[in-house]
Amino acid sequence: MPMKYFDELSRAMDLLAANPRTYFIGQAVACAGTAMTNTLKNVPKEKLLELPVAEEMQMGMSTGLALAGYIPVSFYPRWNFLLLAVNQLANHLDKMPLISNGGFRPKVIIRTGIGSERPLHPQFQHVGDYTDAFRLMCPNIEIIRLEEPENIFPAYQKALEREDGKSTILVEYGDYYNEK
Amino acid sequence: MSGENKKEWTPQELIAFEERVAALFNAAKIKAPVHLYYGNEEKIIEVFREIEEDDWVLCSWRSHYQCLLKGVPPEKVRDEILGGHSISLCFPEQRVFSSAIVGGVLPIAVGIAMGIKRSGGENRVHCFMGDMTSETGIAHECIKYATNHDLPIRFIVEDNEKSVCTDTREVWKQKTLTYEDGKNPRVVYYKYQTKYPHAGAGVRVQF
Repeated sequence: MPMKYFDELSRAMDLLAANPRTYFIGQAVACAGTAMTNTLKNVPKEKLLELPVAEEMQMGMSTGLALAGYIPVSFYPRWNFLLLAVNQLANHLDKMPLISNGGFRPKVIIRTGIGSERPLHPQFQHVGDYTDAFRLMCPNIEIIRLEEPENIFPAYQKALEREDGKSTILVEYGDYYNEK
Repeated sequence: MSGENKKEWTPQELIAFEERVAALFNAAKIKAPVHLYYGNEEKIIEVFREIEEDDWVLCSWRSHYQCLLKGVPPEKVRDEILGGHSISLCFPEQRVFSSAIVGGVLPIAVGIAMGIKRSGGENRVHCFMGDMTSETGIAHECIKYATNHDLPIRFIVEDNEKSVCTDTREVWKQKTLTYEDGKNPRVVYYKYQTKYPHAGAGVRVQF
């Protein structure tokens, strides 16, 4: 029987957690708070870093951790929240290989989502989908939409194991937690 | 990374390096912006007395002195400047990263420091910024987080009293900068007067 969307996300997080270099950071990773939190129940506590709400700082810290040898898994539960980190994403993480002649190639895994609309609609500051805009702003970062449950594990596996020095943004759909 | 042949720079030698860059820029040999230092040579040399070979140095668009003092060979720095990369000089071998965006390096520096602490490393991060940057929201967030979490990082505020041509204290309506009082042990503060403009070397260059 095929696994469901939520279960595949949990399986992907287990895969990431098994790598000694990964470090999960953001709001509601060590504390409860979002649907994403529930996919981390098997991740060891020492690999979870709860951060203050400071989106740009978080993205810069993710880049810095990657420069220091880690593979940060950085959580932004909605695209609308990731907007507050655009400077670090578009001007730094995306451009770092260019401005360093390929010398700095930080690999960050960014988990974001399109907010669920059913059964509760959170209104218009929580359901944005900026995939296309970010693809234009960040040509050196791969952005993968997680459309189907079977896409999820291979996408995270690619993000983790890739050796091209690229970072990856993985976009999930809040509604699919219940629907797929 | 080898520091065996690392050069000890004097203030006069640093000034001479920037003057050579200024001459090249004014002769239209550099087809990109340059941001030159002057007047802070003794202070920045003093700051570098506490910077070890394995440490990280993060800078803004004005970073020629840091690159030289960290041990990047001067001909390599010059070549990158001539190549148009002065505003974001990066030298991975010497662990130097610079960004041309205000405040851009600060959270990256905090992340590197967090990684060092988590790994049990003994090296440190030194993050340079100007006076206007030191008053931004991202600076306050980063300094607060790094201080409260006891991260192995130092922030160096270099105050030339202006951002491009804007007077930092006047636009914020405050007589002293937030980190000017020296009370935060993670922040080094110094003031200097430069002879160069924000960008370029004082001569209008027609490319």
